[in-house]
Amino acid sequence: MAFPLLKVSNLKKHYSHKKGILQANKQSDSIIPAVDDISFDLGVNETLGLVGESGCGKTTTGKSILKLTSSSSGSIVYKNTDITLLNEKDFRPYRKDMQMIFQDLDAALNPKVRIRDVLREAITVHHKNMSAGEIKDKTEHLISLVNLKKSKLDNRSSELSGGEKRRVGIARVLAVEPKFIVADEPTSALDVSIQAQVVNLMRDLQNEFKLSYLFISHDLQLVEILSHRVAVMYLGRIVEMGPSMEVANRPLHPYTAILWSSLHDGNQKEAQTAGSQEANWGVFDFERPSTGCRFAPRCPVYLKKGKPSACTDPENEPLLNNTTQEHQVACHFPLG
Amino acid sequence: MNTAEHLKIEDLHTYFYSNVKRAFIHSVNGVSLTVNKGETLGIVGESGSGKSISMLSTMGLINAAPGVLQGEVTLHTKQGSESLLKGLDQFVKIDIQDKRIISVKKDLNAWNKQVENNMKHIRGKEISMIFQNPKAAMNPYETIGKQIVEMVLLHTELRNKHEAKEKAVYWLERVKIDSPQWRFDNHPFGLSGGMCQRAMVAMALSSEPSLLIADEPTTGLDATIQSKIIDLLAELQQELGITMVLISHDISVISRLSDNIAVMYSGTVMEQGPAKAVLDVNSDKTHPYTQALLSSVPEEHNLLANGHLKSIDGEVPDTIDIPAGCRFYARCKMKHSGIEKQCHHENPPFQEISPGHRVRCWLRIN
Amino acid sequence: MYTEFSQLPIEKRQDIEKHWWKKIHRMDLLYLCYGITIVSLVVISYFLGAFNLLPFDPEEMDLDNMMVGIGAEGHILGTDFMGRDLLSRMILGIQAYFLPGLLAIVIALSFGSFLGVLSGFYGGRIDTGVTYFNNLVDSFPRLVLILLVVAAFKPDIYYIMIIVGLTNAPVVAALIKNKIQFLKQKNFIESSIAMGLPTHLIIFKHILWYNCRSILIIQATLGMGEAILMETSLSYLGFGVQEPTPSWGNMVQAGSNYLMQGNFWPSTAPALAIMFTILGFYLLGDALNHILEGRKS
Repeated sequence: MAFPLLKVSNLKKHYSHKKGILQANKQSDSIIPAVDDISFDLGVNETLGLVGESGCGKTTTGKSILKLTSSSSGSIVYKNTDITLLNEKDFRPYRKDMQMIFQDLDAALNPKVRIRDVLREAITVHHKNMSAGEIKDKTEHLISLVNLKKSKLDNRSSELSGGEKRRVGIARVLAVEPKFIVADEPTSALDVSIQAQVVNLMRDLQNEFKLSYLFISHDLQLVEILSHRVAVMYLGRIVEMGPSMEVANRPLHPYTAILWSSLHDGNQKEAQTAGSQEANWGVFDFERPSTGCRFAPRCPVYLKKGKPSACTDPENEPLLNNTTQEHQVACHFPLG
Repeated sequence: MNTAEHLKIEDLHTYFYSNVKRAFIHSVNGVSLTVNKGETLGIVGESGSGKSISMLSTMGLINAAPGVLQGEVTLHTKQGSESLLKGLDQFVKIDIQDKRIISVKKDLNAWNKQVENNMKHIRGKEISMIFQNPKAAMNPYETIGKQIVEMVLLHTELRNKHEAKEKAVYWLERVKIDSPQWRFDNHPFGLSGGMCQRAMVAMALSSEPSLLIADEPTTGLDATIQSKIIDLLAELQQELGITMVLISHDISVISRLSDNIAVMYSGTVMEQGPAKAVLDVNSDKTHPYTQALLSSVPEEHNLLANGHLKSIDGEVPDTIDIPAGCRFYARCKMKHSGIEKQCHHENPPFQEISPGHRVRCWLRIN
Repeated sequence: MYTEFSQLPIEKRQDIEKHWWKKIHRMDLLYLCYGITIVSLVVISYFLGAFNLLPFDPEEMDLDNMMVGIGAEGHILGTDFMGRDLLSRMILGIQAYFLPGLLAIVIALSFGSFLGVLSGFYGGRIDTGVTYFNNLVDSFPRLVLILLVVAAFKPDIYYIMIIVGLTNAPVVAALIKNKIQFLKQKNFIESSIAMGLPTHLIIFKHILWYNCRSILIIQATLGMGEAILMETSLSYLGFGVQEPTPSWGNMVQAGSNYLMQGNFWPSTAPALAIMFTILGFYLLGDALNHILEGRKS
């Protein structure tokens, strides 16, 4: 890999939750670690897929990188500049390079504004001295880039279908000519047939403009196909990271194995083993985290090995092994 | 396998009036489906294809005027067959001009009374439904246990509260909620999404229906939870021998559970047949839309050489100005096969091409 | 509503598509017409008064024609107890509330928007502070506040209107805050920030102009109605505009002394004017609310 475009180290985002008067059973004010000490880097023209179940902190990670929500600690280095230290005004030039596609189709679109004006605004944010003719050419170029007809420019977003809205959203992001895009579940609100169109479009644009994506999704199949590398998140931590084909076909972390096996019905063994611990699925209590490995209460390996103490040792939470290896895992007993 | 018919829907039409577009939307356009006793019918389709609306129409759950207008729905129960849309057309007056609806007048009070009359013995007792968002479908102020007890008292012979509670706990155990005695007193918001969906299943089954309609039961749940809910539904259906109608936009969910599959597009059923026949990727008997849908699932073997996913170009046609010919014509990859004219101008009939396998496509009929 | 519409023949429906006003509910249209008539009458009268284009000198006493009825001696609405022309005085009376009312609106809208944006956009501790301030203002009786100001300074209508404007601000602030929170939920604001738009552009163009303008217009019309009500009641009580400068409030008050003698007109005429004007502003606000924000059935 060339030098990283973006390097995230030890990023943390904690929400504090104050105890209410009526919540007598709570011990004290609690801190909820939405994102807990994660590190990764992203190269030029690379896609990193970030997968995990809802509530594992994927979206918070994406928003922290773009400084849409403040991070509690850690550093984000973009092209040798630590952007965590910049204030909003100094960061604004970087906004040109770093963009986000939101899950909500309507996020960027005011229903009363014409698409032409939406794009014009996005173009002129960072290119203040453009003439009217240049802006017109550029809007038309943008709309053709995302495979929409020019006549759509005069429509309002309330007159567009879901797929068209998503395309306009992508065109708006492209207007500032970014180098790095956080795509937060860009296809989750779309139908299967439209989803494939959007995925193809994103891939074409990546090749054309040498874009880097942080692709956030709960759809494992999509991530596997679209990403070069995958990071699997569980409760605020990255538990496994590596080339996507390798993570999909040869998972090292039990959680990854369960995630992937839930997709392919032929490979249900792993999921069945975990079935005995049914009740703990998804009801993890952030306020009383289990000690040691976060995944231990749901882990089939932990059960099979007779609940080894290493897994619940609070001093010994497994970390991503910081080797030069491409494929990393945070587990005491990785599958092999 | 028992192949007696359980639910038969014939030529069902549902219209809505859209305030935004100021026109009538023909949401369900001549849907005909049959569900056999003890089998699972999977209905798959994109959003707006009318899959949910057709089942809601069947249940008489559409009371916004104009709602259901035409059609015949027959439910075969132990007591005999019942027509669910009996006598509804007499309260509705439609003006049609140039094949477009001009106006609809509906006597809403009489309509509701008739629906109530038709469905009195059916809803809950014979047919239960589970919905996409269990937390929204349950009463947030009541414990899940109480809600199930209520269903049991209402729809079964049990009249004793204590027995009903035992029954409720039994059902919670049946859907694999652990420590059901304790969960009985939980409120819906105290449960995770997956657990809540399980409780919803327990509630739907507690009235001991013969038919269960599951409308997108796994959408919005995490991947790991999804597969568990699917397993649970498959298991319960096997053990209880109930008939199930499963609605989903996700063809992989449908393929894991269904005996029969119906593919809906733009308000009509494009194809219905045994799961094996419909899902056969290499078959030249299935509808081009089904094939396109199957190949747009993001899986490795669906990738083209340039790393692209196979996609269906274009957008779903709107259901106001319905094209004269085949609905899928504009997006069909097989339209250049010499019969374009027929495809473009004539709507293909829903024809049986092999036993139990019906397709709406000129290419397959000829 | 859709059944009404759907039962129309096709030509009529296409016609409706072309003319937006036909989409409006009949009652709203009525309110709108009435409101606009009143507002334009008020504005025209204001300019008539400002340029002194009055049928009579409002301060000239015609001692021969005291308290004459409608139409007598060229006095269209008659005269008051000093023989001054009622119509001229009523037209001039608009001077008493028009500019001060506008001032109150400007203060309410700008201060309210400021507070609303502070609490909605920035949130956190600022939001808490603004909420406390709003609660404080809301819980303090407005009339007492006004009387305090009148006592401390002097009975000037502008002081009073500043208070009216300030005390109306929390209502505007709450509406704007709600709107911003709604937009935040839809990631609208985050996406604008991510785009790199300068904060002032997001606040003024995207939040206030695109999304809050209808709220502001509605609040402006309602605010004017309220300002008139405040001015007239205070002038009636003798705290507002002082004689001999005419104001509808002090005209009602002055006329009321002669009610017992059967001369009800000098008092009733300005009272009716007050009623119809305030009604006009309120109905206009209501109609705009339904038309711009959608009628809820």
